[in-house]
Amino acid sequence: RAQKVFQWKMTNAYNPGSPFYVTGPGSPAEFAERVKAMSGGRLQIQQFGAGELIPALEGFDAVSSGTVEMNVANSYYWAGKTFAAQYFTAVPFGLNFQGMTAWLQHGGGQKLWEEVYAPFNLVPMAIGNTGVQMTGWFRKPVETDADLKGLKMRIPGLAGKVYAALGVDVKLLPGGEIFPALERGVIDAAEFVGPYQDRRLGLHKAAKYYYTTGWHETSNVTELIVNRAAWESLPADLQAIVRAAADACNLVSHTWCEATNAEALDDLVKNQGVIAQPLPAGIVRRLREVNDQVLADAAAKDPLVRKVHESFMAFKSVHDRWAGVSEAVYQSQIRTTQGAG
Amino acid sequence: MLNASLVRGCELLVEGIGRAVSWVSLGLVLVMAGNVLLRYAFHTGSVAMQELEWHLMSPIAMLGMSYAIQHEGHIRVDVVYSRLPPGLQRIIEIVSYTMVAVVAALLVKLSIPYVLQSYAVGETSPNPGGLPWRFVLKGFIPLGFALLFVQSVGAALRTLLGGAAGIPLAPAAHDGAEAVRA
Amino acid sequence: MTPNEILALLTIGSFFVLLMIGVPVALTLAVTGFFFGYLGFGGLLFNLLPARIYGVTANYTLIAIPLFVFMGVMLEKSRIAEELMDVIGHLAGGLRGGMGVGIILVGVLMGATTGIVGATVVTLGLLMLPALLRRGYDKGLACGAICASGSLGQIIPPSLVLILLADILGESVGTLFAAAVVPGLLLSGIYCVYIISLGILRPDAVPAVPAEERAAVSGRELALKTLRVGLPPIALVVAVLGSIIGGVAAPTEAASMGALGSVVVAALARRLSWQVLTETVRATTRTTAAMFFILVCSQVFALAFRGLQGEQLVHGMFGFLPGGIGADIVFMLVIVFILGFFIEWIEISYIVVPLFLPILQNAGVDLVWTAALIAVVLQTSFLTPPFGWALFFLRGVAPKGVSTMDIYRGVVPFIAMQVLTAALVFAWPGLATWLPRAIGW
Ligand code: NA
Ligand code: NA
Repeated sequence: RAQKVFQWKMTNAYNPGSPFYVTGPGSPAEFAERVKAMSGGRLQIQQFGAGELIPALEGFDAVSSGTVEMNVANSYYWAGKTFAAQYFTAVPFGLNFQGMTAWLQHGGGQKLWEEVYAPFNLVPMAIGNTGVQMTGWFRKPVETDADLKGLKMRIPGLAGKVYAALGVDVKLLPGGEIFPALERGVIDAAEFVGPYQDRRLGLHKAAKYYYTTGWHETSNVTELIVNRAAWESLPADLQAIVRAAADACNLVSHTWCEATNAEALDDLVKNQGVIAQPLPAGIVRRLREVNDQVLADAAAKDPLVRKVHESFMAFKSVHDRWAGVSEAVYQSQIRTTQGAG
Repeated sequence: MLNASLVRGCELLVEGIGRAVSWVSLGLVLVMAGNVLLRYAFHTGSVAMQELEWHLMSPIAMLGMSYAIQHEGHIRVDVVYSRLPPGLQRIIEIVSYTMVAVVAALLVKLSIPYVLQSYAVGETSPNPGGLPWRFVLKGFIPLGFALLFVQSVGAALRTLLGGAAGIPLAPAAHDGAEAVRA
Repeated sequence: MTPNEILALLTIGSFFVLLMIGVPVALTLAVTGFFFGYLGFGGLLFNLLPARIYGVTANYTLIAIPLFVFMGVMLEKSRIAEELMDVIGHLAGGLRGGMGVGIILVGVLMGATTGIVGATVVTLGLLMLPALLRRGYDKGLACGAICASGSLGQIIPPSLVLILLADILGESVGTLFAAAVVPGLLLSGIYCVYIISLGILRPDAVPAVPAEERAAVSGRELALKTLRVGLPPIALVVAVLGSIIGGVAAPTEAASMGALGSVVVAALARRLSWQVLTETVRATTRTTAAMFFILVCSQVFALAFRGLQGEQLVHGMFGFLPGGIGADIVFMLVIVFILGFFIEWIEISYIVVPLFLPILQNAGVDLVWTAALIAVVLQTSFLTPPFGWALFFLRGVAPKGVSTMDIYRGVVPFIAMQVLTAALVFAWPGLATWLPRAIGW
């Protein structure tokens, strides 16, 4: 008997053509192709970049109300609708790709995510991860936390609140204006993504000091949300195919970032005169103190946020001890001695 | 005359709201320039004040639409139109205003659930320190189109009754602006 | 062709017919969108309209519109701008077309401060059009020059078109800004040459200020007058441009420096009164809202075009292409040009560029050069009748006696000059690629 063909729409918070977020290896475009291939064409997903069908950050409402079946974004864009959403993208001083994926898949994270989104008729899942992002681009070096006082920085979201507590003047700017503003010194520093995406924006031509490992986004999950009624209308095999394709893209997008960021950072440092270095430990310590307080305050306000916060932090503290004897040793000893011979 | 006072009422409402909301444009100038100067001189600024900049666009745009049309008329291509006999022009005019009223009503109906969705979840800015009550900002959409409905009905009636009811075809000019341009 | 593709064509066709018989622009966009969209995909997709409308009213970059309009209206209402054009005319001396060239230069300066076409066209229209008409300029030419000059901001950086293209093409915004400088100045130069040549070929279209009138004003008087009426607008351009270059304000924020500056300038000239301020805020609100009304209604049209798979129409067309990457690029530019008659530039960029991007990348085409070409051709969409933003914005502020036909007639030569500029950049890619390399962006 003839099987039903599903024609779905998938909107996106990022502009058409954006690598990683819209097209390329492990992207939502590849996700749609994989689903089509695996389902033998029974589930066909048409992707729309930001602005094509709806503006960038309208996907949550559109999928929630069922006008569009799927949307790709980062969950922290919805922090104004439900603050707990923040935890499913990244919280400052959070988990890396391995830890975050482990929490979602085996630490109860996915269940909590579904619980947080249930009132909105949404089924969430991870579909990508940038891995660790960078602290950002600074026109002048920062040595101590005194250098942060009055520093004008483009930094949206939760991290902005932490910086602000140390005297940073937080500036909100759309992506397109970061470059001219940084280049002319309207702002002294700007956060964006990582070497590959930052180079694409040309930020190295505006500022030379690149502070590395982003304390504020130690990894960053791309989310896929599916309208619940639409999801339930899918037969079990198509649901399994969607989950399998999302899992595959989660991994492939991340490895693609590892590869392209490595190449881009090498190019930035060797050919573009960029000075890449971590933030001084003293500053990171101060940021950490403030951050712990900011998160604790947010968790105290709302039982749902507290539930997610406690699960995340409990998993993290156990995982930290494991990572401390495995990954940390790899990073500090094993990896660095390899090239010595 | 019931009809005449209806027309008058519609126009006064649009005029009053338009005049009041006009001052928001001065507010926009002061808020944005103030943010720039404070940041430059004192290296300080607030997330809420930065968000206020684009929050002020919505009332200007949505509540100002009817006010603009009441004064300057609809923007149209007048290549053929200007050569049509006045009677036919009036028919096009009445049909146009009626259709605008229909479109406005449709958009009010479409946008109310959108506003309620925002209200139901208590939507705020995703930025800590940003502005709350996003449903107010979104609420200007149905409000603006409701006002446009009122304006269109008033204008359609005025064009329809024109002459017969002793109402001039164009509303009286306000604050020195020229009379409505068709 | 699928039924929906036929409906997409019908949407464009009916839009064109309704527009031409004089149905209001905004209504035309909304009605055709609703009607054919409903026939094609039913009512469901229209639930996305509030999100699109909210996106327009909450668009950060568009704040520049009310701010620049405020600046223009304040200069007009405080009568500071009234004599500006006359002074330019006097300064140009016996040179016919001098005031026209002045308009282009003002457009270049304003273009360097903003990427919002509407704001510049409205400002120029308010400030310059009445003066030009009073001086006996040909109506069409005056309107064409203002629309063309007011659209220069889209190619001269900072520019919204370039920011969007940078994102779609994966190039840095700074590189594209640098790449557009030479083509932008080239285009402005061609406009100036055209107006000056017109002064020779059709002297009555662009009259100079009569010699006796010029003689009546002594050199010293003219110098003083130049200072008095020229200083305020120059101060504002400095406030806007200077705040960007000096690192005081980001591009959109700089518009607020101009708006605040206009209040200061009016106060210094002792022209600021309660009445002037009231009239300024009211006119600003009306002009801004009129623009947003069209923008909002165009969301219905754009959504319907999307929902009817209008982009498939374009996709289908390029199955017929002959081989060769040169032909592909020309075809892409032709599509951009043709769509420019009906659809606004954002939709065009989103529909056309992603379609061609893989082909361009495979052929190793220089994307910076391509972006400059697309930007110049997209520039035409602001001026092409029947649907050109610049035309509507000027229509909204033009004095009585200027018909839409005058505007349509007037822009034709300027569209031709834009096509010529595109051809020059096509033939000599260095026009676009030289500057970004030279300054290392
Ligand atoms: Na510009
Ligand atoms: Na056009």
